[in-house]
Amino acid sequence: MATWQRTEDPNLARLARLAGSLRTRGDQLLVLIVLLALWQGLSLAFGTYWVGSPWGVLTRLGKGVMSGEILRHASYTLLEAAAGFLIGALPAAALPFALRRLPIVTAILDPFMVGGYGAPKLALAPLFILWFGIGIESKIALVAITVFFIVYFSALAGVRALDPRLVQMAQVMGANERDVARHIVFPGAVPHIFTGFRIAMPYSIGGAVIAELISANRGLGYLVQLSAMNFDTTGVFVALVATTCIVFLGNWSVNVVERRLLRWRPRPDLDMQAGS
Amino acid sequence: MAAEVLLEVRGLSKRFGNRAGREPSPWVIQELSFVVNEGEFLTIVGPSGSGKTTLLNILAQIDTASGGEICLQSHAAPIGNSKSLKPGLACKIGYVTQEDNLLPWRTTLENVLFPLTVQRRLNEDTRAQAQMLIRAVGLAGFEDHYPHELSGGMRKRASLIRTLVYDPPIILMDEPFGALDAQTRTQLQEDLLRLWNLGRKTIVFVTHDIVEAIALGDRTLVLSRSPASVAGEHRNSIPRPRDIRGIMIHPEFAPLYQRIRVQVQ
Repeated sequence: MATWQRTEDPNLARLARLAGSLRTRGDQLLVLIVLLALWQGLSLAFGTYWVGSPWGVLTRLGKGVMSGEILRHASYTLLEAAAGFLIGALPAAALPFALRRLPIVTAILDPFMVGGYGAPKLALAPLFILWFGIGIESKIALVAITVFFIVYFSALAGVRALDPRLVQMAQVMGANERDVARHIVFPGAVPHIFTGFRIAMPYSIGGAVIAELISANRGLGYLVQLSAMNFDTTGVFVALVATTCIVFLGNWSVNVVERRLLRWRPRPDLDMQAGS
Repeated sequence: MAAEVLLEVRGLSKRFGNRAGREPSPWVIQELSFVVNEGEFLTIVGPSGSGKTTLLNILAQIDTASGGEICLQSHAAPIGNSKSLKPGLACKIGYVTQEDNLLPWRTTLENVLFPLTVQRRLNEDTRAQAQMLIRAVGLAGFEDHYPHELSGGMRKRASLIRTLVYDPPIILMDEPFGALDAQTRTQLQEDLLRLWNLGRKTIVFVTHDIVEAIALGDRTLVLSRSPASVAGEHRNSIPRPRDIRGIMIHPEFAPLYQRIRVQVQ
């Protein structure tokens, strides 16, 4: 019960944490080197025609970034993913709160939501291209619908995980329905919502890339498609590496916001989730 | 002290709802009656599982009763069905539960200010009152800590002053010190008596510990084993201020303890 005592010497604790995180970083570097070596091995075994070499990919990536071409495609994909994420995730996070006092409506919607969650959304891409054209709208729509169901179920789990004793306590102290929603239900659900964001984030970028693969004239998915058609495997790898970088960027943004909002959670728990 | 009746419980009964196809569930509380006077510290002892928490939940208006009446300040409280319940009955009934039930996303200070926030009573005076209470229970310096950063005893203190801060006329306490070690427990009992001496609030304190019931109370009710009803009532004339650590060697302690013990079974 003396957990607060570890704040007694903050410098020592910070130092220990830093040492721990450095060791993790070292191990991660090791894994990276092993993966790069495997890649290089595959490239040597099959030839760069089939598997672009790491070094070749890196130089092409550097050139692409310098010329601005990669950044142009990447920012286009990022824009689609971000817009789709916001359009899909925010209503999905809000809906369970709106439905909290309407359990019957929630129950009626449930099979449809489960269906929407389970349906392979990527198969909708051709349909969306038919409906919204080959421009940015069809990509945003695909990302939004992919993200929506993931976040909806996370937020729903958050609203359902509510501790009824906290609500009773607040009511005894004079809290009305709005106070309960604002001070108890919402903060309690935030960790669940962020779990949803964290899972949905790579899907949003994946969705954007897939939609571009099918039909586009810009974006990293288009770059993959173009390179593949030209039998340029290095080009494909360059686009994939760029995509991965965007996923990292997205993950990092989610972590930063989450850290800020969830300061009240025990730290080790947060560290484990944040992966640093 | 004027012995004005603040809370009156008459013929209270409770059984939980039946489930289809089963025997009707047994009575948890049956024909329970007692009064609580203004400014009185009433302790209620009973064996575990005797419906003490259920009784307090009904008094706090977060659970219904199956029969009987409850009058607070001579107004009958709605206890018949869950729709008409008014938890805390317009902030007149404070309730310190067994678990601390602090909001994990609020700091100590924010938790203590929570009732004032939702009652729209947050101002200079009430803030100062909150700070005074935080100092009085030794939580100064921990205002910005989150509940997970506090020890069990500190969380209990925070949960206690969170109810004291909005000054409800009657406070219910459900074994608030049950889960603590003996040392912390005694300290909290002393804190509670000191705070109580400042304001002489009306307190209904439920416990299964006879020593605690004697150390704190002006009067002790003994509840029978389930279904709960009043098995005995004992006036406690050990003078205040009391020395909690030495309560057992007070000459009146042993006979009182003996009388209560034979009734608690």
